[in-house]
Amino acid sequence: MREVLLVRYGEVFLKGQNRPFFLRKLVDHVKEAVQEVHGHVWLSEGRIYVSDYTDQDEAIRRVSRVFGVHSVSPAIEMEKDSFEAICAQAAKMMEKKTGTFKVLAKRSDKQYPMDSPTIMREAGGYILDHVPHLSVDVNHPDHEITIEIRKLAYLSVDRTMAVSGMPMGTNGKACLLLSGGIDSPVAGFMIAKRGVELCCVHYHSFPYTSERAKEKVLELARILSEYCGKMRVYIVPFTEIQMQIHEKCPENFTTLIMRRYMMRIAEILAKKDGAQALITGESIGQVASQTMEALGCTDEVVSMPVFRPCVGMDKSEIIERAEKIGTMETSSLPYEDCCTVFTPKHPATHPRKELVRRAEEKLDTQALIDAAIEGTEIVEVG
Amino acid sequence: MIYLDNSATTRPFDSVIDAMDVCMRETYFNPSAAYKPAVDVDREMRACRRLIAAQLGAQEDEILFTSGGTESDNLAILGYAETLHGSGLNFVCSAIEHPAVSETIRRVEKLGIEVRVLPIDRRGVVDLQAAGEIIDENTALVSCMQVSNETGAIQPIEALSALAHGKNPKVRVHVDGVQGFMRVPMHMGRMGVDMYALSGHKIHGPKGVGVLAVRKGVRLVPQTTGGGQEKNLRSGTYNAPAILGLGRAVAQMAENGDRMEQLRAMKLRLWQRLSAIDGVRVNGPAPEDADSAPHILSVSFDGVRGEVMRNALEGAGVLVSTGSACASHKQKVSATLRAMGLTGEQADGTVRISLGLFNTMDEMDEAAAQMEKTAALLARYRRR
Repeated sequence: MREVLLVRYGEVFLKGQNRPFFLRKLVDHVKEAVQEVHGHVWLSEGRIYVSDYTDQDEAIRRVSRVFGVHSVSPAIEMEKDSFEAICAQAAKMMEKKTGTFKVLAKRSDKQYPMDSPTIMREAGGYILDHVPHLSVDVNHPDHEITIEIRKLAYLSVDRTMAVSGMPMGTNGKACLLLSGGIDSPVAGFMIAKRGVELCCVHYHSFPYTSERAKEKVLELARILSEYCGKMRVYIVPFTEIQMQIHEKCPENFTTLIMRRYMMRIAEILAKKDGAQALITGESIGQVASQTMEALGCTDEVVSMPVFRPCVGMDKSEIIERAEKIGTMETSSLPYEDCCTVFTPKHPATHPRKELVRRAEEKLDTQALIDAAIEGTEIVEVG
Repeated sequence: MIYLDNSATTRPFDSVIDAMDVCMRETYFNPSAAYKPAVDVDREMRACRRLIAAQLGAQEDEILFTSGGTESDNLAILGYAETLHGSGLNFVCSAIEHPAVSETIRRVEKLGIEVRVLPIDRRGVVDLQAAGEIIDENTALVSCMQVSNETGAIQPIEALSALAHGKNPKVRVHVDGVQGFMRVPMHMGRMGVDMYALSGHKIHGPKGVGVLAVRKGVRLVPQTTGGGQEKNLRSGTYNAPAILGLGRAVAQMAENGDRMEQLRAMKLRLWQRLSAIDGVRVNGPAPEDADSAPHILSVSFDGVRGEVMRNALEGAGVLVSTGSACASHKQKVSATLRAMGLTGEQADGTVRISLGLFNTMDEMDEAAAQMEKTAALLARYRRR
């Protein structure tokens, strides 16, 4: 008898002929996740098992952050020969619980002498006899104890819901424009959750933004990497571009033109990194540069698809997500990311593309972009 | 790199590091233990007490070792408040105290003590006339910093103490001397100071060690209980390496009798160069004034945000701070500068330069040149 983790997976089940590919990726990621706690991982009969870890709580925390994992339960793995022993173990696991319970049984070993309803009835009776402060409620129990009869028997009570989604690396790669605010890490998380690998681009406006602002962005990337593994962060020097825009372009378009440069540079870096799409944290109407016209205006300078998973979310919904993911606290640190020195007082909210294009003509776009890419610093995170 | 943020912390003297190294490698004994090697460490600690006491016009047994300025301020204010009985009492502090005082003193309100705040004038100095109206016969404590960490304004401690004692002979005076100790003179007896807080790492000593000097007859309630060290006022195993390091720093500072003149000469040289820049203004007393501390210079550059200036100077190899380092993460406009009547925009444009004994005249010239260059560059890109 020993403790193991029982790891259930979600959407991967739906896959047809590709399922082995997805499962292999998922198992690999679970292995990576428990590497630090030395867990042993194997796949058997529609479940992933983890055993021999040095720290159960840490192993659960880590596994529940693997995209594709639906839930994790600590379980007791034991011989199935003695049903009496199984019942005794079940009763022991329920001893400290209060309220109502029900027994759930699953039998994949069809040779087992008892069928599932019998197991449920017998084990339930045993628990009632031995833990008299509990009562049964089959419809809305406070606790469910699951008894699974496979090659061995597995008993579990508690369940930690995991992130779900698809195994990382099964759906290509995309490049996240990471600002340091609340929205962009959430956007990155939502796309990564679909099995998409990430790389990040950050625009750094030294001296208008500080070393600490950069450190903050790297910390956000590190938090994301807890879910989606190692990634590259491109830190692009952006001051010269901002200054030139500020000097040469009409004030009401400066933010918009700045966004266009960010998209252009991100696309170039994305291609270099093997990414096929861009991700931004924009949400319709949140600020002037995120009106529908403005989004159209920034989209027209790139040919890659641009994913904006927060596009239909309210700020409060985005904040709720950020808190769940664990990026909120870092995002709230008060270091400026896009400097107010360059923020126009009255930005255009309904820009016309032709006017923006014309406003941009005074800039030597190619030279500015080349210089920015040339000065880009690459940091590996995770 | 030119380090001009000595009010945030200073580089320790090599002799300090050596003293700590020996105390960690060789004389690592608990100074409270009974065997000879431990007694030897205890004796060295006593020598440190005497050194520090001598700088304050205090006695060896009036020196309490703590973890630093913040703990010293907490012990002084809360420890004293808890000894008080009776109603209608008030504590008074200046409008520009460090949070270690201003946040702590708010906590005595729960004990039924009223908190009153002394305004400052446009030079950043406590307004004694207003103080005469605010301090009264029910004032139990007056707390005022010796030197403003943001502007370097030296506060009129002696006059304030005399004024307070005139209203209530039993009043106690607490001084946060973290920015003043050994850079501005202090004599607790002559100046009428009952409690004085200082910190090791602002005088080229180690971090994590400080002192609360408490004059005989001032009773405090301990805020830390345990093994009964420091006459039961501050329990916890002695941080012997840091205490010996602090002692070494005090000794080396004391050996350099010209230290204040050296610091002031550098400050004046820097200001001489900076004052030639267009749109530069000094906050606090004029650098040549007697009540301007020798090592702190607060300047505003017209139309340039202090934060941007600081970042740009970092790029040029000059480290300074905006406002005070503890508060500068919070990115709110400095309460001190606002209390001096600066507008939000002016306060926002402030850079604090603070000098230490490792700085040189050449560094002043180089730093001034960089500031001049940066100010000119940044002024081009103001908000339109």
